[in-house]
Amino acid sequence: MIEEPYRWVEAIANRREYIEHQLAVGSPIVALSYADGVVLFTMSRERQKVFEIYDRIAMGGIGHPGDIERLRLAAIELCSTEGFARSAHDVSLRRLANYSLSPALKAAFEQVYGAPYLARLLFAELGRGDAPNLFLRLDYDGSIQTNGGNFGRTFEEWGVVAGTKAAAERMERLLREEEVTKAPLSHAVKTAALAWSAGHLPLAEDPEAKPPGREELKKHLDAQLAQAAIECAVLERSSTLPITWRPVPEAESRALLDGQP
Amino acid sequence: MQPALPPAAGAEDFAAVLRRGGLLANVPAVNAHGSITPTDATTILAFKYADGVLVAGDRRATAANQIVYDRADKVLEIDRHSLMAIAGVPATAWEMARVLEHSFQFYRRTQLQEMSLDGKVRALSKLLRDNLGFVLQGVGVVVPIFATYDSEAETARLYFYDAMGAQFEATDFAATGSGSGAVRAVLHFENSWGGKPLRKLKADEAILLALRALETAASSDSATGGVDRRADIFPIVKTITSAGIETLPEKRMARLFKGKLV
Repeated sequence: MIEEPYRWVEAIANRREYIEHQLAVGSPIVALSYADGVVLFTMSRERQKVFEIYDRIAMGGIGHPGDIERLRLAAIELCSTEGFARSAHDVSLRRLANYSLSPALKAAFEQVYGAPYLARLLFAELGRGDAPNLFLRLDYDGSIQTNGGNFGRTFEEWGVVAGTKAAAERMERLLREEEVTKAPLSHAVKTAALAWSAGHLPLAEDPEAKPPGREELKKHLDAQLAQAAIECAVLERSSTLPITWRPVPEAESRALLDGQP
Repeated sequence: MQPALPPAAGAEDFAAVLRRGGLLANVPAVNAHGSITPTDATTILAFKYADGVLVAGDRRATAANQIVYDRADKVLEIDRHSLMAIAGVPATAWEMARVLEHSFQFYRRTQLQEMSLDGKVRALSKLLRDNLGFVLQGVGVVVPIFATYDSEAETARLYFYDAMGAQFEATDFAATGSGSGAVRAVLHFENSWGGKPLRKLKADEAILLALRALETAASSDSATGGVDRRADIFPIVKTITSAGIETLPEKRMARLFKGKLV
């Protein structure tokens, strides 16, 4: 039975396979730094996928809407109570992810009799002053991947989530070639859209396959723009209020995408 | 113990979340000092003028007959378009403002929509009612004014409350605190026979009237600060218009006040 160690490992592996299968169809989400903060970008046909969590924290998620909603509300509550009891300066994404969300996700994933969270989340935190922005990916098993800067990894000014590992890698490869930090919003949105296209393009999950060219990505993006809604939001450094979140209306994002470079 | 997320909040309001987490103050069960007279030593006023609504409060904080602070800020910003001005026990009032501010944001973030104007007005009423225990103990009475801009009707709105949470919408002006009698008299006189009704006043005229009304209250009420000419301390005056909240710089008030009052 499952009490035996081997059976437990097998059950976890089955569960992982099941969740990966469920997440595979999710539309990718891109978050990246630009001149005035952080932009989050995705395209969807059904529901909102990018959310405000606190003054300087935003979240995007793919997976089951019920589970995403549950995690979103928990994140907002944890940040709000910390911000109320201490101060908004004490709210940090690092603590939210490491001490609260990750252990809860891991516990739910490994309790093989209970239901796991069908969710893969992307968080972005706008740095204060000169501090860099933090991008953090939190997976259904509680594992965390950040945009680095420590332990010898190159610091990245972006974060992505996608349905499959291969899709995420295609997006990362594209973003690695871009200089994003000092770019104006229009450039950042274009880059994000292209990266989204790279993650959304239905390709064989073959790591040896030739990566799609820009033309191909642009073509796929244009086809999708005709039938899906853009969802775009920014965390603005120049905001005069403590709240930095601003949803970018559909018309504005399309204008930014169409604008000349 | 398994690490767990907070129970699913759903449509729970932020005050309930705080209560669940033990973050709201408990009403003391015993009044150790016998009977304490509730005080609301301060003067707060608000009235509608041509561009929106103006809210002003003096800066003095007192404890019995002692002045403890002469730079208190009793006009608090709750969100982009809402102000709460307080007369009463500062500890309770500031806490209330903090709960309110966080409640509105919590609602917007969790429910993905802005709380309605009626909802906001009601939220303060509920906080006051929950505070009734403190009021009965004689240690936490708060009598606020709530001013906001109704973007649907494109007009300013003004509400005042009693200590138990009853809310009243003011048509022209509201005043609360120990000096409110004098202020109400000044505003009523100005509104009826002052040449121009309050709603027609331009910004500068409105500011000057607010300063003069507070000065009138201060002339007879020791708990109201008014304009402190020696230390150059002016009341806090804020306005709400369709563009949002503006805090008036002291320089502008000094220019108006000293220019006109000979």
